[in-house]
Amino acid sequence: MLQFLVDTLLRASDLALIALGLSMVYGLVKFPNIAHVQYAMFGAYVTYAMHASGVPLVLAIAISCAVTGALTLGLHLLVFRRLLRAGPAIAMIGSLAVAMLVVAFMQGFAGSFPRMFNLPLTEPILIGEARVTATQLYFVGTTVVLLLLFAMLLFFTRTGRAMRALASNPALAAASGLNAEGITRGVAFASGAIAGLGGSMLALSTGAHINLGYDLLLPVFAAAILGGLGNPLGAVAGALLIAATETAVTNIDFGGLVGGDPLFMPVAYISAASFLILLLALLFKPYGLFDREVRRV
Amino acid sequence: MFDFLISSVTVAGIYALMALGLNLQAGYSGLLNFGHIAFAGIGAYATGIAIQSGWGGFSGAAIGVCVAMALGWCIARLGRNLASDYWGIATLAIAEILRTAATNEVWLTGGAQGISAIPSLFDGLGRPWNAMAFLALVLLAVLVFALACRRVGNGRFGRALRLMREEPQLAACMGYDLRSLKSRAIMSGAALTALAGSLYAHYMSFVGPDYMLASETFWLWTMLMIGGLGNTAGVLVGVVVVQGAYALVPFAKDYFGFSSDISGALRLGLIGFILLASLMWRSQGLVPEKVRKIA
Amino acid sequence: MTFKMHSFYAATALLGTLSVTPVVQAQETVNMGAVLSLTGANATVGEDVRRAVMLAVDKVNADGGVLGKKFGVIVEDSGGNPTTALNAARKLASVDKVPVVIGEYSSGITLPMAQYLVKEGVGHINVASTSTKVRELGASSFNLIGLENLGNQFSAADTWALGYRKVAMIAPNNAYGQGVAHGFKQEFEKLGGKVVTELLYTAGQSTYRRELQQVSRSAPDAYIYTAYGQESAVLNREAYELGLRKSPWYAILLSMSLSDTPANIANGQLGMEVGNVYGDAGKAYQAAFNAKYKEGTKTSYTGYAYDAVLMTAAAMNKAKSTDTDKVQAALKDLGKGGYVGVTGPIVFDAERQRIDPPYAKLKYDGKVVPR
Repeated sequence: MLQFLVDTLLRASDLALIALGLSMVYGLVKFPNIAHVQYAMFGAYVTYAMHASGVPLVLAIAISCAVTGALTLGLHLLVFRRLLRAGPAIAMIGSLAVAMLVVAFMQGFAGSFPRMFNLPLTEPILIGEARVTATQLYFVGTTVVLLLLFAMLLFFTRTGRAMRALASNPALAAASGLNAEGITRGVAFASGAIAGLGGSMLALSTGAHINLGYDLLLPVFAAAILGGLGNPLGAVAGALLIAATETAVTNIDFGGLVGGDPLFMPVAYISAASFLILLLALLFKPYGLFDREVRRV
Repeated sequence: MFDFLISSVTVAGIYALMALGLNLQAGYSGLLNFGHIAFAGIGAYATGIAIQSGWGGFSGAAIGVCVAMALGWCIARLGRNLASDYWGIATLAIAEILRTAATNEVWLTGGAQGISAIPSLFDGLGRPWNAMAFLALVLLAVLVFALACRRVGNGRFGRALRLMREEPQLAACMGYDLRSLKSRAIMSGAALTALAGSLYAHYMSFVGPDYMLASETFWLWTMLMIGGLGNTAGVLVGVVVVQGAYALVPFAKDYFGFSSDISGALRLGLIGFILLASLMWRSQGLVPEKVRKIA
Repeated sequence: MTFKMHSFYAATALLGTLSVTPVVQAQETVNMGAVLSLTGANATVGEDVRRAVMLAVDKVNADGGVLGKKFGVIVEDSGGNPTTALNAARKLASVDKVPVVIGEYSSGITLPMAQYLVKEGVGHINVASTSTKVRELGASSFNLIGLENLGNQFSAADTWALGYRKVAMIAPNNAYGQGVAHGFKQEFEKLGGKVVTELLYTAGQSTYRRELQQVSRSAPDAYIYTAYGQESAVLNREAYELGLRKSPWYAILLSMSLSDTPANIANGQLGMEVGNVYGDAGKAYQAAFNAKYKEGTKTSYTGYAYDAVLMTAAAMNKAKSTDTDKVQAALKDLGKGGYVGVTGPIVFDAERQRIDPPYAKLKYDGKVVPR
């Protein structure tokens, strides 16, 4: 049981930060940014580059977050703001184009081989019957701390309130004196930085590779949609649900039902299972599980 | 060279059919279908499975079209309450589930190895006539369906779809059954795309789960956006531009002497650049949709 | 309407220029072709093989080139999908007019591509695809690598000899992995063993813990696995972290499965490999590879690509021509006996398949060493 929880938490924290950033930005710009997962890939490579040239790991990650945030902000100002004038569908396809360009650039620059981090090997720690390493504990710990900070920011500060106001009614928020443009820029930067952080921490275990972003696309989007686009903490809950589904599906022994031999669902259907959960959720709650918005009929 | 041109145009023609199918959904009706390639995959696999079971190509194509239309109906029903972004991701999820099933159900689809040795349609004719006959078939299909789509688009159905896209509440008030319109648009797009998928299976003599990767749908969307969403001529232009650029990259690589390890990056980057450029500066596409203005 | 006509003319002009693009290189260099997956899911394999191909080109040119001219290999990207691969093969065959094309890796790509080349009568050399269907490709297709049936027989015999009776099988969920898993299971069960779990993992996951948990439940004697790219590093590390390394781990294609795994995790694994380094020529090849690229080979296939290029250059020299029929005849001649590449002696049977392709029993002890 404990192993199940640990596995779920680890997988969820792989997805949570990136899904959070995606949902956060959606709330303000109202289009799902397909390039968002590529920011994570970019951040991973920057961290690798810094670390490989001798910068201590934590500092490398911090610099990478800043650089990724800057890239996100730059793209927002130069590309997405302009595309949004033509509508969210155009912006979404534009984000697809940006994603292609980011991947092409990194491919040309960094090549096709994965870049593994040379981290010292740590023995796994035994917690009950579950095994987890110190690096993973740091990873989950950092994610949880960041989520708490973000939640506090969102609900207990003025900036957070402004963000929420802007997300629910941009015209009214701007009319009541909130600096819509400034907040959007800040959010863009922050979402990029968080994506970079998520990507870097992920790359510590999987290595920085070109497909890192693309491999995350579907699970991250599924998590964000499950929680309701625009609801950042909902995205985190979505990530948890997806991780739980994936872990449960592969570890439930159906042998008892058909009598005798252990029988498991083939692991190839892991992603199919989480998509099925997504579809079921959307059937009952079309705007995501945590949707509380009142919509006119 | 001639050989290469014939095959490039044939593949472009097949993609044009798929893009026309997507245009019916995305262009006229404004439905963000990100799982469109599943219909093509269904057509291709139906052909492959039918031939393996000894039923012949025609029945394969017919079965593919029927199954694709059934899936289209289900997808349309799914979209009852869903906002467009959510529906788009739901269609993507469905396509991925189908692709996973195709990769794993070895007894049906041959698994990741796919189904090979599907007869090409005109093998009896000998070279180069078989390739030219196939090209003629594809071009004929493109012509027929492009004209049909244009006819439909300018007709009552097309106008109703556009109204549903722009002002759904007005359309509902005027008595159009939105659900039925949506279903019909998706089903007709699905049928056309499944047919294209069958042709593709015959052309490549092979079907594999990689035909249904999400990136293939993005590819079709790129063609639509560059050429012009909602306009039949635009779709064809988009296909030509994207396929042309794609086929041109290896020649450019040779001409400029680029190292082969960046050729993959070049190809992706070129398409991404063209798409972004056309979105930024001509967001309705090279051939924009002609919307009649009420003077 | 006018704009549409403009774009139509532009597109026609574009295609028109393609038909008159001169292939200037043909006059000054002698070329052959290669289709490799430089992008896509198997880019690790493709890029590694490309390096070997480039190394081979250097060697051929250092030895005097082909027919007195400079030798080159035109490498095209297959993009990891059959359409792009077929397009690339078409370009190589009908525009660049190369006599021989080598490639690809995934049988889902090699088979349709090679079928096209055979239809055109262009020579094809398979260097990495192990599907047994490669045998049946046709008259102009040659094969240098041991196909699945032989590889799986070797692995099954080896694992049985090591004393394992109940094993778990882990492989990627693609054409290669499905083929190996299925084939190994057949061969191992013929010997009397049992594959208690078969895990076909999906590439690209951020973690494989839940998959590994599932596998460990069946308590196998040993874990037989094959993996590549960054997933193999993740799998190995997580297997270590979850304590699964208490049981033996046997890798099919050992150095490929461990290419990105740090030594302290890789130590103690056993495995097999397609023969990659034979004798002095093989050692010299490895040394040259290390010198040029500052790191070793990441996959097991590089030697085969190297041999394919060198053998084709030799065939062109022997035939004194770049005509594809003559070059293929020369390849058959060379394959009658006496030709030794870095992967060992290359002898073709009547169907142009390699007789006795090499396999090696290995283990990891700081690096890959023979047992």
